[in-house]
Amino acid sequence: MRDLRIGLFLGLRQIQRANLWTTLLIIVVILFTFLNLVALSGILIGIVDGAMKGVRSEAIGDLTINPLDGETRIKETERFIEELKTYPEVYSFTQRYTGLATIEANYKERRNLSAEPDVIAVAITGIDVLAEEATTNLSKLVKEGSYLDPNESGYILIGKYNIDRYAAEFGDVFDSLKNVYPGDSVMVTVGDQSREFIVKGIVESKVDLVSVSVFIPELEFKRMFDRADYNANQIAVKLKAGYDEKVVRDQLQKSDLVKLAEIHSFTEDVPKFIIDVRKTFDILGVFTGAIGLIVASITIFIVIFINALSRRRQIGILKAVGITRRTIEYAYITQAAFYAIIGSILGILITYYVLIPYFNQNPIDFPFSNASLSISLEGMYIRAGALLVVTLIAGFVPAWMITRQNTLNSILGRK
Amino acid sequence: MQIISGKNITKSFGSDRLLTQVLKGIDIEIFSGEFVAIMGKSGAGKSTLLYQLSALDKPTSGEIYIDNQNILDFNETELVNFRLYTLGYIFQDYALIPDLTAEENVVVPLLMRGEDWYTAKQTALKALDDVDLPGKYHHLPSELSGGEQQRVAVARAIAGKPKIVFADEPTANLDSTSGRAIIDLLATLHKTGQTIVMVTHEAEYTNHCDRIINLKDGRIIGESTTQNTTETTPLNPSSVTDEFNSNLSQ
Repeated sequence: MRDLRIGLFLGLRQIQRANLWTTLLIIVVILFTFLNLVALSGILIGIVDGAMKGVRSEAIGDLTINPLDGETRIKETERFIEELKTYPEVYSFTQRYTGLATIEANYKERRNLSAEPDVIAVAITGIDVLAEEATTNLSKLVKEGSYLDPNESGYILIGKYNIDRYAAEFGDVFDSLKNVYPGDSVMVTVGDQSREFIVKGIVESKVDLVSVSVFIPELEFKRMFDRADYNANQIAVKLKAGYDEKVVRDQLQKSDLVKLAEIHSFTEDVPKFIIDVRKTFDILGVFTGAIGLIVASITIFIVIFINALSRRRQIGILKAVGITRRTIEYAYITQAAFYAIIGSILGILITYYVLIPYFNQNPIDFPFSNASLSISLEGMYIRAGALLVVTLIAGFVPAWMITRQNTLNSILGRK
Repeated sequence: MQIISGKNITKSFGSDRLLTQVLKGIDIEIFSGEFVAIMGKSGAGKSTLLYQLSALDKPTSGEIYIDNQNILDFNETELVNFRLYTLGYIFQDYALIPDLTAEENVVVPLLMRGEDWYTAKQTALKALDDVDLPGKYHHLPSELSGGEQQRVAVARAIAGKPKIVFADEPTANLDSTSGRAIIDLLATLHKTGQTIVMVTHEAEYTNHCDRIINLKDGRIIGESTTQNTTETTPLNPSSVTDEFNSNLSQ
């Protein structure tokens, strides 16, 4: 205990009287090491989380109601709608109707009737224009043209991967329409019924599910597909901020509605491969973080070793006047702990109050998601703990090496 | 009473091909309360002898007893404790810890001896007063002159009331006035009964010593006594201060 107390005193005095720039340099090294630990894994996870957030906000919502196995539509959809209206947690919901159709473009310019028509097969989604907007903010995803107007009819929104100039991004695996722009006419055919629509906008989303979709207003969908009932193919529900989707799901599942459709929270619907990718990125983050830690420990070792080496004579003097090796080692461990704690605290503060808010406001534009920095406070504490341990070891080893040297040789500067 | 006894001390450096024998079978005895100077020309082996006698180094062969204990039998922990409780050191270039104030330089070994902070501080301040450094307690070594730094080193050496103080050329880095003041300080300490072993190559600083041991080429070539041998008195810090101040004023 005496060794520890005096070591702490000597260590603190060394820090207090050390060159300010050297101290700052070491703290900056620790700070950047911490940020490296946090940032890389945080962004890797952020890519996945960004993709999941996109799917949640732009496609399937916080809760999704789907037909039961073997069914194509949600039975008694109106009962669901009435029930959802009574939930204070629900911000909005949108019922969607889907059906298969073909879309033909450039048919007016086609002079040779024996030539291949410019036609593609699509899944068309009929939407309540206002409800969809409230739930998924679809208008913000319109890249060219504008969003559907609830008071207009005869307009269509086409996902960008159905258009040839964007389809290449998707790998050009599907047929696509050539030279289609907002304002052009396309012919939608369901069975033997065809109707002309004007392209109102081209929809672009990093969620491929949205970018391959085609949207028309619900009423026109029902007319074309001859859907007289109100039974939707999907209901996407958006909750108010702060409410737990699982709690609302559980409440819905307690009612007899559960016999009519599948009610899932968003997290339940996340595909396993997404969860696997997230785990993979997490492991990659740990792996790269471990390399970062090793590099940091070597850097800190070198800095503290040079520091201890330059104080070799003082270490010899301390030993000569009766200060134990352990006390001197504690002094260097104290210094290392100081650097690690200050560096990590700064790192946590910068990450929490600067980087996370910044990346939330300005996500990094990756091809399939807008990635922000995804790291929990607990994750930061774990990284700070790992950094502290590594720094303590990197601080102890040079002190241990130098205190083992012959006292007189240390004092006289002999090898 | 004999306090240091060295028998057939040898010390060599280097490997077999380039072996340099610095000490060549030294027999030495130092008595409690003595002020002994070890003299010799540069390269005579006087500092090397001091390092062996003061447990800072281990001889190649021979035996060294301090206070009837064979210091060559000590393990590292025992040696550290032995230095802490029994020996005091004054080095040529002061050897103060630059991060610590004058007071802290003196306090740290006292804390290591198990004294609480308050007691250690009081002891340190008294020791600094004894070497005439009042008002400089909180100065860093870099803020003190060479003479003042050496006085802090003396205060550190004597604060724990060691049985022996070893001084390795304590005046070598000082001007003649400061050097004289340090020697007077050691002489005053000696009068309180302190055993002092000092290495010096300056004969003018040996007139307070009881005995001078002359070294040449690693061998003792002679011993002499000085006329200034003084009667020893019990250790009394206030008398140290008074005596020191009177020496300074002369």
